[in-house]
Order: sequence, then structure tokens, then C-alpha cells
Amino acid sequence: MVSQKTTVNNASGLHARPASELAKVCTQCNSDITIVVGEKRINPKSILILMSAAIRSGTEIVVECNGATEKEDLEAVINAIDGGLGE
Amino acid sequence: MLAINVERTTSRGIAIGRAFLLEKPQLKKVFDTISEQEIPTQIKRYEEAVTCAELELGKLAETNEIFGAHLEMVKDIALYQGVVEKIRAGRQCAEAALDATAAEFLFIFESMEDEYMRERASDIRDVSHRLMCLLQGVKHNPFEGMTGEVILIARDLTPSDTVALDLTHIKGFITQEGGITSHVSILAKGLGLPALVGVEEILSMVKQDDMVIMDAHAGSIILQPEEDILKQYHDKIEEQRKHQEALAQLKSLPAVTRDGKTVQLCANVGGIKDIKKALEYGMDGIGLFRSEFLYMDNSHFPTEEEQLLVYKEAAQLCSGEITIRTLDIGGDKALSYYEFEVEENPFLGWRAIRISLELKEVFKTQLRAILRASAYGEVRIMFPMIISLEELYDAKEVLEECKKELQQENIDYNKAIEVGMMIETPASILLVEDFAREVDFFSIGTNDLTQYLLAVDRGNKKISHLYNSFHPAVIRSIKRVIDAGHQNSIKVGMCGEFAGDENAVKLLLGMGLDEFSMSASVLLNVKEILRSLSYEEAKEIAERACQMQTSSQIYAVLGIHR
Repeated sequence: MVSQKTTVNNASGLHARPASELAKVCTQCNSDITIVVGEKRINPKSILILMSAAIRSGTEIVVECNGATEKEDLEAVINAIDGGLGE
Repeated sequence: MLAINVERTTSRGIAIGRAFLLEKPQLKKVFDTISEQEIPTQIKRYEEAVTCAELELGKLAETNEIFGAHLEMVKDIALYQGVVEKIRAGRQCAEAALDATAAEFLFIFESMEDEYMRERASDIRDVSHRLMCLLQGVKHNPFEGMTGEVILIARDLTPSDTVALDLTHIKGFITQEGGITSHVSILAKGLGLPALVGVEEILSMVKQDDMVIMDAHAGSIILQPEEDILKQYHDKIEEQRKHQEALAQLKSLPAVTRDGKTVQLCANVGGIKDIKKALEYGMDGIGLFRSEFLYMDNSHFPTEEEQLLVYKEAAQLCSGEITIRTLDIGGDKALSYYEFEVEENPFLGWRAIRISLELKEVFKTQLRAILRASAYGEVRIMFPMIISLEELYDAKEVLEECKKELQQENIDYNKAIEVGMMIETPASILLVEDFAREVDFFSIGTNDLTQYLLAVDRGNKKISHLYNSFHPAVIRSIKRVIDAGHQNSIKVGMCGEFAGDENAVKLLLGMGLDEFSMSASVLLNVKEILRSLSYEEAKEIAERACQMQTSSQIYAVLGIHR
């Protein structure tokens, strides 16, 4: 398993549009992915779960990937988040 | 062949088409428990519904991004897992499993702090409704599958129904319920399409795909007409088209009487599309910009920027004045993302300015957007449903607050922006002389005014014959408003249906109305009449009409045959 810390920078947090973008990126990955926010562990392949977590701008999160392509997948997810998720 | 007569109509035009009966989906509540053998079947049913929903939404998403988000939700892994888990472990059928899973998500979203996220609950509800419809084999969008030219026939149409209407196929509207000022009437008028409402028993007389002729002006409907009748009506449509062409010649001519009195002919609009259409009819400005569509056709309270974009485009499109009425919801217009308490008497309830003054942030957002748009055109602000000077003072105070904020933020707006109010409550008539000193203009909303003055529900078919703007109480009220306005040197307009009523043009002209604002589709008809009238003559007739004691006497003075 690999993991990396990052910060959500979208102005209004993970609202519908960025959440949908993140879910899309994660769904394309073969690894099992978990996002750790505080004490919560959530599955970012689900837009509903992502939105339910109500992650605000400036929140620090940890992305964990587990699987054969975990390194590439982690990089893809981190790049997407740092790149503003289409916003 | 079957002919039906409809007594009251304010619409005009003839349309021919196949009947399209609007049936609202009736969803059954299913809570069956299933046996172990049925588990794979139920999962498969759900998966098939998801596949179909993906197809539907994929198409819709191409033109509307809200459906893009719905597409993601319908494919959502957590939703899928929740449903499958409930089918497997809970032994529930697919419908019950979906219902329970959606309810879990709804609970999470509805209890969230962030207002925007709370509003996403309505998306989940819509997605789960779509899946439920597919599971039960009913159409999610009842308007899907319309082809050719159709006459839409329904029990009634709600404002949210009309958002989903496919107008490329619809040539006319017939509803079993509703009065002549119901939503469908107003909608049809705006589109220039004929409508007949309150047609009793129509749903039991017509079958899907029957050939239908409707003549809204004459108030007749012919079902399954014979060939020669059909031909007669096709000829009439042709005649109508020619009259329209003749009217088109009037577009660039001013609205001036034979003896040189000019009035403003403006359009009532409910969006940018309407403005573009109104421009084709050569209007002098927008007398009523209904801002409701911004709120109703949306998944959240529109932000300042979202509103500004629309108001700015409207102001730039329009060469003359553009009067934006602040949010007028409640009553029969609701919002999908805001829960209104059920009221016994919505028309006497929490609506329009009452909502704005209570939801102050929502009100300020709108006022700031309107003010900012005033930098781009002749924008005016109009408050609806005012009953007291306190309300007017409060509304103006919020406006001042917004102006101050914008000034501090160095954002441009028209410092001399005109502020006016609708006259549509009996209280505003009785206080009209006082109001006239506090505003820059009046606009008489005859639909609500008639309903409130006469205590006649305009949607109630049983008493629709009592709803009459030619009632002496209404006529004298209009006169009083115009006089009070002119004594204080402010302009008086009218934006109710009455302003576009051909029978009322002479009367209103004679009473001194400065601005007639109406559905763009009737604007040229009114202009044609105005240009044939003499102001001096109209004044005398109006004076006599105001002294009459009954509607029939008023009809007689105006030479109207009823």
C-alpha cells in the first residue's frame, strides 16, 4: 500500500462538480482507494460518499492506494486533487 | 366527429394536431420480501434499470450539466452496493432496496450543515425516482415520445411540468382544470399558442392520438373531424397567418393614437428566450421581467453572479426600460430545493415580498444582482404584493443597504435606479395616494388584483365566471391608481392579463394608462387597435365607464358583446 498527504484547495470544498471529477478519476484506477479525513475513511469511487463527507477547502486528507498499479494510481489521484479537479 | 364548446377564453388561434394525453407516472409502493432464489433476478432488475437510466441521462447530459451529475449518481458504487446488500441480506425486492438506500443518503444530505449540499438531496430524489420509474416500467418524463404536431391535453399543468415541455411538437394546450389566468394560459400566451382551459370531461372524451382541432378564439374543440371540416380549419389557419403578416407591418411603427397620444407597449417576459421573442414584435421595453424562472428552473437559490449574468444579458438585449420584479414565489409556485410549509390558503400566505423580507440574504443577493445589472441598461426594480408602507420601507431599506455595500466595494450601478411596486392587493389601492409619494412608478397586476378584490380564486373553475376584470370595483380601482400616480407625477403601467385584452384597450387608454405590458404575442394586436383609436373619444368613454354600476353597463358603454 502507498499513501500520500495533500490538501483540498477547491474554493467551496468537494462540491458536486469537483467530487464528480474525483470519483471519475478514482473509478478509472484499478487499486482500492481510500481517502482518510480526520477519523473517517471513505471510498472516493462513490460521488455520494464523497459528497456526504463534506470536505471543505483547506482540509488535509490522506490518499491510500492498494493494488498492482498503486503507484501510478496514487500519482493520478494526487495530481487530480492538486490540479483543482477541473475547477 | 364530436364538437365541444368552451365558454370562457382569453386565448386565440387555431391549432390542429394529434391528441397527446399527459399522464403523470403513478408509482406503486412495493415492499415485497423475496425468497433466496429470487435474489439474482432482483439484482438483475436493478442493474437493467441502471443501464437504461445511464442511457437516458447520457443523452440529457449533453445539453444540461445537472444531468451529468445525475449520471454519476446513478452509476454510483455506494448506491449500487447499498441496493445489492439490501436485496441479498435484507431479502428486499429491488424497489424496496432502492427506496431504503436512497433514504439513507437523503438522510445524510438533508442533515448537512452546508445549504448547497442539503439541496443536493433533491438530485438524489430525482435519480431514485428515475430508477424507480424504470423498475416499474413507467415513463419518468411524461413528455417523452412526442412526435409530429400535437395538442397537449392534461388535467392541469404545474409550473414544474412546463419546464420539461418539449415545445417543438406542441401546437396547442387543452386542460380539464384551471382558469383563464392559470399557468398554462400564461405560458401558452407567451408562446403564442392557443390554449383552452377548464374544459370539463375532456380527458374522458378524447383518446391518445385522436385528431383534434381547437379554435381558442371561438372556444371550440372538434374531435376526430371529417375531411371537409379539417380543410376548412386549415384554410382558417392560413387566413390567420396572413393577418399575422399584416400585423408584422406594424412592428416598427409607434403605438400612437389617431390624435397623436403615444403610450408605451411593453412585454411581460419570463426569461431571455422571451425577450428575444418580444424583440421580434417590436416592443418598447420590458414592463415585467418575472425573475421566478431563475429560482424555479434551478437546483439551488441562484447566486449573485448567476443572476447578474441573466439580468445583464437582458438589459443589454433591451433598448428600452426593463422592469425586474423581485422574487414572486409561494402561492402556487414552489421551489424544488426549499421546503414550504403546507398552507391552507397559499394565495393569502407566505409569498412574494413576505418571503423576501424574511429570507433577507436571498433578497439581498437578488437586489445586488439587479443593481449591478443597472450599469448596463435601463433597469428598474419592482416589489410584488406590497400591502403596507412598512413593507415598502423595509424593502427600500434593504435596497439601500445593498447600494451602500456596492459603493464600498467600488462596484458600479445606476445610482438613480427607479424603484416601483406592483398594485395588486386591495390594501395597496386604499393607500395608493400614500404609496404614490414613495415610489417612482406603479404597475397594476390585474390578475391578483381582480382575484383579491373580488375574493374569487382564479384557479377555481366553479366560480371562474365571477372572475372578471370588467367588474366596476376593478375598473374604479384602476382609475384611482392611475389618478394617484399622475397627481404625484409618476408613471402608471399595467402588467396583468387585462393590459393585453383587446376589449380593454380603449378603456385603459382613456383612463390615462401610460404603459401597457403584455405577452409579446398579443402586442401587435393591441397596437393595431390603439392606432385606430382617438384618445379624446377614449377619455369620454372611460369616464362614463367609471360611473357605471354593473359589469353589463360597462360592457354596453364599451360596445362589448357578451
